[in-house]
Amino acid sequence: VRLICTTTAVQRKNAGASGPEKYTEAFIKKQIEEFNLGKRHLANMMGEDPETFTQEDIDRAIAYLFPSGLFDKQARPMMKHPNEVFPEQRKIQWGEDGRPFHFLFYTGKQSYYSLMHETYEKFLNVQKHQDQLIAQGLPLQKEKRNLAGSRWLTKIELEEMLLEKLSDDDYSRFIQLLQKLAALPCADVEENYIQKFSKEVPVQLQKVVIEPLQYDEQGVAFSTGEGKRKTARATAVVYDNGTGKITVNGTDILHHFPVLQDREQLLFPFQFLGRIGKHDMVCTVSGGGRSAQAGAIRLASAKALRSFVTEKEVEFMRQAGLLTVDPRVKERKKPGQEGPRRKFTWKKR
Amino acid sequence: MAAPSAAGLGRRLRAWLPRIMPVRWSRYNPSYLEPEVKKESYQKPLEELTEEEREQVELKAVRPIRAAPPTLSSSVFSDPMISKFTNMMMKSGNKVLARSLMSQTLEAIKRKQLEKYHKAPENEKETIECNPYVIFHQALKNCQPIIGLSNITKGGKTYQVPIPLTDNRKRFLAMKWLITECRDNKHRRTMMPEKLSQELLLAFNNEGPVIKRKHVLHKMAEANRAYAHFRWW
Repeated sequence: VRLICTTTAVQRKNAGASGPEKYTEAFIKKQIEEFNLGKRHLANMMGEDPETFTQEDIDRAIAYLFPSGLFDKQARPMMKHPNEVFPEQRKIQWGEDGRPFHFLFYTGKQSYYSLMHETYEKFLNVQKHQDQLIAQGLPLQKEKRNLAGSRWLTKIELEEMLLEKLSDDDYSRFIQLLQKLAALPCADVEENYIQKFSKEVPVQLQKVVIEPLQYDEQGVAFSTGEGKRKTARATAVVYDNGTGKITVNGTDILHHFPVLQDREQLLFPFQFLGRIGKHDMVCTVSGGGRSAQAGAIRLASAKALRSFVTEKEVEFMRQAGLLTVDPRVKERKKPGQEGPRRKFTWKKR
Repeated sequence: MAAPSAAGLGRRLRAWLPRIMPVRWSRYNPSYLEPEVKKESYQKPLEELTEEEREQVELKAVRPIRAAPPTLSSSVFSDPMISKFTNMMMKSGNKVLARSLMSQTLEAIKRKQLEKYHKAPENEKETIECNPYVIFHQALKNCQPIIGLSNITKGGKTYQVPIPLTDNRKRFLAMKWLITECRDNKHRRTMMPEKLSQELLLAFNNEGPVIKRKHVLHKMAEANRAYAHFRWW
């Protein structure tokens, strides 16, 4: 698949790169006033309080008053604050006499180069500070920044900040400079500046909620999980206090998976946690081939086992690759070629 | 030149698109890391790790991880080298056949070694290696060439220039030589497991045609030492 994972973030037109002002400030102010007035009218119409009318209420009201069956959400009628509708623009960069305000205007990328200049200035500052400390004989602070917990701004975020288009090369040069600056021992002096360009990453990737155990009539604890791989879909129910029996679609696994590799995959989560003879499993699976079905059941059982196990072990399972959905699918055939990659035989004449 | 990978999450995770679409791409975002399947690496407490390993652990806690492939498992029987060898032996995607040939080979090696073990006198019994996995790994190691040759065209003529080889390339060449040797130079009626076990045992003792081929390669490289300066990397 060519365009694998694109989002509106990528497809959206670059902020500010469309050139100097298309909408004057006065126009935007008028739009904001009209929006606020319209919001109050809408609240009145819907019988709600105009003071506490949020954006979600506006969306619901518009969807109610102007129902639309169009597939593209962007094509449906919407009422949003003008700052979201009209992208942020750069004001005109030159005065009435035609002389530009910024000294780097004629480089073409004034904000980028001014940013690089600023960052390098901070770099030299830190080095000067370092030299002063060495001259005084004081020890340098060697506090290591927590690299794993933060990330640098992406290229798109930086473009939004500067309101100017960047190239990949420019962006990587800027990030390299930032990394050099952050790696210096006395970088704490410019910590504020560096923090403008870094963002927090949620420390644990455990955003998934682990369901609690359920109990059936005999009081035996069980939990369910769903998994998929290529076209196969599987659901697994893992029971506690079991003997290690596994049933697939009503038949024994020896019957359903004659190949050793598939059975190995089914046992993988249990073997990893060391709980081979302790659980019973009943699964249903449909679609896909033999290996895909095995992979789907493996994912389903791993997800079901999360409820039986401590959080640390869930993290270990995640790091062993047991809890990720395998995104690999069959690549499509392209026109003009015999298969997804194979081209037709080249004939000279 | 690829943009530096940012461990961005949520929508930002997917918004990675290289300028020119490369031919060899993957369905995974480049920030996904390889999975670690072995149980022992998770049982080490935090204090015993070095600085680098601690950083690795912290990084792994934040980044998403790829799914484990179907050939990889945490059981004692799954060995990455054996899986690689099985894949290379496989023809037209018939993994079932390749896997069964591999297991028959290992069984044949074990049988031959046990025969030797029971026939040997007491003092020699300890020197005989019975574990087929150990024999396989040692045989592969013995077959790996140290230096390779590559064709470099200079001034119209193509020369065979000695070049250093990466670990992956050495392993690949050793496995490839073993397999081609077993497929070509055998009697029509001998089965693959039998011939392979024979070759592996010979390679384990540094004898046999595969070792000879490795020595021939080394001699050629030694003979072409004069052209070594043609290499520019």
